[in-house]
Amino acid sequence: MTVQASRDLATAFGTASNRRGRYFSFKRIGTPVVIVVVLLALYWWLSTLALDSIELRTLNWDYLLERTFEHLRLTVVASAIVAVLAIPAGIALSRIHSRAVHAIVFGIANVGQSTPAIGLVILLAIVWKLGFEVALVGLVAYSILPVLRNTLVGLQQVDSNLTEAARGMGMRPLQVLAQIELPLAIPVIVAGLRTALVFCVGVATVATFINAGGLGDMIVNGLKLQRWPVLITGAVVVSCIALTIDWLAGLAEDLLKPKGL
Amino acid sequence: MNNSFFSDFGLFLTKRSADIAESAAEHLVVVLVSLLIATVVGVGIGVLVWNRPIARSLSIAGAGVGLTIPSMALLALLIPVLGLGWVPTIAGLAFYALLPIIRNTVVGLSEVPPAVSESAQGMGMGPVRTLFRVQLPMAWPVVLTGVRVSAQLSMGIAAIAAYVGGPGLGEMIFKGLSSLGSKNALNYALVGTVGVILLALLLDAAFVLIRRLTTSRGLRV
Repeated sequence: MTVQASRDLATAFGTASNRRGRYFSFKRIGTPVVIVVVLLALYWWLSTLALDSIELRTLNWDYLLERTFEHLRLTVVASAIVAVLAIPAGIALSRIHSRAVHAIVFGIANVGQSTPAIGLVILLAIVWKLGFEVALVGLVAYSILPVLRNTLVGLQQVDSNLTEAARGMGMRPLQVLAQIELPLAIPVIVAGLRTALVFCVGVATVATFINAGGLGDMIVNGLKLQRWPVLITGAVVVSCIALTIDWLAGLAEDLLKPKGL
Repeated sequence: MNNSFFSDFGLFLTKRSADIAESAAEHLVVVLVSLLIATVVGVGIGVLVWNRPIARSLSIAGAGVGLTIPSMALLALLIPVLGLGWVPTIAGLAFYALLPIIRNTVVGLSEVPPAVSESAQGMGMGPVRTLFRVQLPMAWPVVLTGVRVSAQLSMGIAAIAAYVGGPGLGEMIFKGLSSLGSKNALNYALVGTVGVILLALLLDAAFVLIRRLTTSRGLRV
């Protein structure tokens, strides 16, 4: 396993993609096994409990599936918006060869990363309104930075000899971008998207505070009503969703990698 | 945002300056305590596993899995066990802070050239002395970067921890939410959020200094 040191928040989340094409490492198989075992254990534990009427109101399949759906909808829609906005913006920024502009972008990204997600979401709710759209904007604002940054970094790290050679072969700038630079930058860009997805699952959990639903509802209700089974179910299910999404994104990262790398 | 907002906000700042300072201090203390625990434990784990392939893979994979878990979920899971307040906050923060530190310790120690460790042994140093006099000092800049990442991470998570009764600026943010609609809601949330950003930037700057002071002289660039 190639281990990379984490240099900032964005790289701290990017974990081991299998660089030598070992698609069936311990982590690849281990993660889904762990997820299934944990969910089965949770189900077994809940079925041994005698639940009271308050717990039954939330611990049923309809409620759980609806919260899960809300959570996934927030996560997926926000990540899709992030991908559509941040990747073209990153490409555009990489065409501007000005150190000052890049320094400003990275500076903003740094401040953005120290912004607490909960503060951002609640501030938005106070100046705007409560609900799904506000949570969506909060999620997008919070997870757009890693993707933007990784797109820029991914394109910058492409060997300039390669782009020069491509230009020397008579390729137009757009062809160089589409056929040389983007394919070489894809692993870094996808790693950024993976980080964004994981951020989104986490921030979607605090979306409950501004009435945007999701599995955070179960955690908050369980805490308010002192019903630990509700709280634990919400927390475990949301963790499993985060792990599943990270696992799927890791799989995509390996599959999208250009063959030559 | 017009002039009356700023004068209103200024009034809020001066009126509640004691509260704000206390929250900020608590926020910093809770983050620093967790960081200290995480650094000691994380470097310890890193030292134990870096040279053992299976243990290393397991701890790195475990660290990746741990980071993926939403902080709100982990903090919630700690409540039935540890109750509310400082204890679950510090435990949760230390858990997240642990992960980048373990990873960077492993990387830092593996990057020490084997020739250097071997010559230390050749000079008659035992494994423990080699570790403390040669390997750890050489790995320190990378380890410290891990601590710095952890610091940034814990600053934000500490704000969420206010929900499980943790101390700090998160309390201000949640106070803003609970007084939604009132005049001071925005002031509270703004002070909490901007306060966390400022603290994070200050701590980040402090790490530049710490790095300079604690890196062994031969390694300074």
